Amino acid sequence: MTTTLEHTAAVATEGGGLARKQNFLTAMVGGVVFAWLAWYLAHHFLDASSRNYSDLVTTALTFGWIFGFWLGIGALNGPGRWLIGADHTRADDLYYAGENQGRKRYWKYCTDHKVVGVQYIVMTAVLLGAGGILAMAIRTELIVPGNHFVNQQVYNGFVAVHGMLMILALIVAVAGPWANFVVPIMCGARDMAFPRLNALSLWTLVGAAGLLLSVLAVGSLTMGWVVLAPIADQAGIGMDFFAMAIIVFTVSTTVAGINTICTVMTMRTKGMSLARLPIFVWASMIAAALGLYAFPYFSLVEAQTLMDRTVSTSFFVADGGGTGWLQANLFWLMGHPEVYVILLPAVGALFEIASVMARKPVFSFRTAIAGMTGLAGLSILVWAHHMFTTGWAPTLGGPFMLTTELISIPTGLFFLVIIGTIWRGNIWMKLPTVWLFGFIFNFIIAGITGIYLSDIPIDNQFHGTVFVTAHFHYVFVGSVLFGAIAALAFWYPKVTGRFLDETMGRISFWLVFLGVQVTFLAMFVSGFKGMPRRYSSYSMLFEHANFVTTIGAYMIMSGMLVLLGAVVRSWNHGEPSGPNPWHANSLEWMVPTPPPLENFDVLPVITEDPYNYREELVRS
Amino acid sequence: MTPKKEKLTGIYISTFIMTVLGVVIGIYGPSRLMPRSMSDNMHLSILTIVVFTVAAAPVAAGVYAVSLHALRHWTHRGDDVPAPAADQTREHPVLVTSWVLASTLLTVFLLVWGLGALSVDNGGVGRNPLVVDVTGQQWLWTFSYPGSNVQSPTLVLPEGRTVEFHITALDVTHGFWIANMGVQIDANVGTTTEIHTTPNALGTFDIRCTQFCGLNHAYMVTTGTVVTKDKFAQWLASQSTKA
Amino acid sequence: MERSKAIASALVSVLLGGGALALAGFALASAAPHQQPQVCQPTSPGNCSLTISSFPDSLAGEHGKDGGAHPDWVSYSNFNLVAKANTTVTMTINQYDSGGTLNNKAFFGRVWGTNGGTAQYMIPTASGADTPVQTLAKVDPTNIGHTFTLRGIPGNSAPLFVSVPLPASPATNSVTVGDSTYGSPVKVTFSFKVGGPGVYEWNCEFPCGGSREGQFGYAMSSFGYMSGTLTVK
Repeated sequence: MTTTLEHTAAVATEGGGLARKQNFLTAMVGGVVFAWLAWYLAHHFLDASSRNYSDLVTTALTFGWIFGFWLGIGALNGPGRWLIGADHTRADDLYYAGENQGRKRYWKYCTDHKVVGVQYIVMTAVLLGAGGILAMAIRTELIVPGNHFVNQQVYNGFVAVHGMLMILALIVAVAGPWANFVVPIMCGARDMAFPRLNALSLWTLVGAAGLLLSVLAVGSLTMGWVVLAPIADQAGIGMDFFAMAIIVFTVSTTVAGINTICTVMTMRTKGMSLARLPIFVWASMIAAALGLYAFPYFSLVEAQTLMDRTVSTSFFVADGGGTGWLQANLFWLMGHPEVYVILLPAVGALFEIASVMARKPVFSFRTAIAGMTGLAGLSILVWAHHMFTTGWAPTLGGPFMLTTELISIPTGLFFLVIIGTIWRGNIWMKLPTVWLFGFIFNFIIAGITGIYLSDIPIDNQFHGTVFVTAHFHYVFVGSVLFGAIAALAFWYPKVTGRFLDETMGRISFWLVFLGVQVTFLAMFVSGFKGMPRRYSSYSMLFEHANFVTTIGAYMIMSGMLVLLGAVVRSWNHGEPSGPNPWHANSLEWMVPTPPPLENFDVLPVITEDPYNYREELVRS
Repeated sequence: MTPKKEKLTGIYISTFIMTVLGVVIGIYGPSRLMPRSMSDNMHLSILTIVVFTVAAAPVAAGVYAVSLHALRHWTHRGDDVPAPAADQTREHPVLVTSWVLASTLLTVFLLVWGLGALSVDNGGVGRNPLVVDVTGQQWLWTFSYPGSNVQSPTLVLPEGRTVEFHITALDVTHGFWIANMGVQIDANVGTTTEIHTTPNALGTFDIRCTQFCGLNHAYMVTTGTVVTKDKFAQWLASQSTKA
Repeated sequence: MERSKAIASALVSVLLGGGALALAGFALASAAPHQQPQVCQPTSPGNCSLTISSFPDSLAGEHGKDGGAHPDWVSYSNFNLVAKANTTVTMTINQYDSGGTLNNKAFFGRVWGTNGGTAQYMIPTASGADTPVQTLAKVDPTNIGHTFTLRGIPGNSAPLFVSVPLPASPATNSVTVGDSTYGSPVKVTFSFKVGGPGVYEWNCEFPCGGSREGQFGYAMSSFGYMSGTLTVK
């Protein structure tokens, strides 16, 4: 009779066992099974006549889903094995890193940071796609006044879920793929500090996305993605799915943030001082730190909303002594830093691209760092500019105006760095550069319109109108998305060994760039004229501007479809690129394409930063 | 490779042209697009938008001008891999300092203007404001004039007299916004918020709900009217008898 | 990839993607609940009459005899009303539901915007027998079933504000409506004139639906129960 220890040891080295068969499918099955189990138990033991019944049952169901999903994907295997004293062996670790599994490893709990990076590209595409479909539904409804396509309840649900899906998509759009794929290699490391946590962060995102997408199926939300109290109370069980999706997502992003910071702090190779790190690594680290500060507020506020709904607490219910203002404050304490968590990785990637494509160093590396750090630091002090018109604290209007206006200074420094980098450069006009110039154009508009909103008398006119919507779409679509696509075009050759097709990429660029101007400049016009946001139907005053906005939206949609086509086609049919197509200096370009498991045969020793461009490089 | 010291006059010219364009758009655009101004607050808000646009124009113009110049003069022509740029400048202390200084000054100017405008807006209500109670509920506004015991589904205001709104909501948070008067504040459950303004033009105005409040948020729009003080007194009297 | 292949791929991406989206959109639009318009019936030149009901559940009216997704939710019989421009609409509402106290008693206990500023009320006895019709400008706000509150929306329709409180029905007899039975209804009749073409919005202003605050959840906040439109053509 074998002892337990010998038995499991035998299984590990033989490479068999059910654990090794786990993949996305088993995760889905696990999630559904445990969701049903939790639902059944809650349904059995709870009093159906209680007002909180459906919320309690739904919340139990979501806990079941995420536990079952984790179980099914194998997230609990590592800790489980450790607990029972049967640690992973080296062979296990290599297995879980995806050794010799070919394409299959992309469907599994794979600890190789490069695989996780590619999985994040897919998740970004899925979230952007789902959010984009809803965007097109929204704009199609708004092409003429009145409710013709869908009724206002369905429309309102689209608005909320579109917002949340897109926010999630953009949080991971640059950080997910590239902080994972590229940053460890840039540091000269073999993988992230915590490879299993890396896989956990990705698969937890998938679990959260499942909950979020389910919101649409269960009656949706009928308020904005901010789900302010007290109206959140009126939502059906979709609100419980939403709240749990956020709580689960916070786990994903916290784990990823810790991983990024620890990797950069502890796993840099010999000679790689902080000053010699590529600027993108700094950006990723600062964004991760800011995210660690901000996202727990989100988790907290959604947990409180859930508690109000399931166990009748009164955090946000005025009748019970609570106030909606608490919800708003907690939400925006997260909500403002969060937009910089979204922005910083994109800006960091663009700094990198500007340098490589202009063939000169990042202008004033220290200004870039000061700008990013200043932005992150100030961002935690500005949140109540989202609450100027709530009536919550009129005396705090002035101080929050001050902090918000001050943020324009570090933001301006980003322009200085980019302009300084391309100044008198020898600019290589390839896809990444094209999107960089698009970013410069859009980010100016985004930043300036933000300054309008930071001024209270102006905000009194524009708050709650589509002026605000147009402003933040210039930030998210015009700036962050452009940065994300530039990053994709830039690092695509490292992932696939092929260039993203230049012609399709240019077609996509012009459609999206012109589409953004048409859509959101027309939306600014609607905002000036006084059209409030989240309106399912609007006055005749706004019909022309809305018509034009919808046309622009269709242009953006076409451009993004072309981009998707480019990504798909170039994967196998793109022009071969070689390991260092941009003739750059950072470590990711020094390894083969695709990079081998564990990246380096011999860890490099670093003697300078990656921004010394010499003639030899051009010829290499 | 690009020559070390080519002329940059193109940048100055483009910056100038685009600044002028921005200033013109700033001066004429907002007032044409925005709802007709019917109060001092609104006038001040529009003026602030104009000032901010004019102040921002040279910044945007400068960045765009440099980008255009880069696209025209500093791009590598040809299919080969571009050589390293001749200019490998990493630092320029004078530029960085000037930039930070200039952006700080601009920010301080905008802030001072904004705080000034805010204090004007918050200025005193005078000795005898007209008090109007506003109640928001899904999905309409109702108004009552406590001084005269009058209720109304539409808002009627006298020209030239400061009106102080006491605003509350009965179910969820609504946003009370008089689009022509530049004032906005939320209506919250369980508490009362206050804003005030002085209508200075006759005619109709729109009140739109700006805080998402459910199914028919898009229909929570009402008109109001500003009438002369005499007409207002007559209207008030006629409403009283009906009650 | 050659240029022409790239351009062709781009076109295919747009057509395929766009086509898929169009299909999805079409499916979505067809799946949405469609409302049967209730047209104001012409009675004489410039006049028409419209009759609707309010019920304590969804088993009668437009949700079908199984009551749709929420059979226990209160509902109006029709929520998509249609009338001709510049006519005087005489509306009769049969109110079958029980009731309680309005949340904005001072305002919605009154009749607003009708011809004469009043409405005609016939409140049955507990056994369902008729009583004489009363012409009232306001009713007891502590015993209301629903309200009918109709508004013009600036930018979509001419100014109009009509609000009529509908008292709770005390009747406990059984009257058959479609496949359901209720106590005899309160009958409320009133007239108002509609202006030019546009979409007017109406909803009940007596919140009675779930949620801890304001009670404007469930039926009150869902399309097709306690709110609707009056389209004037």
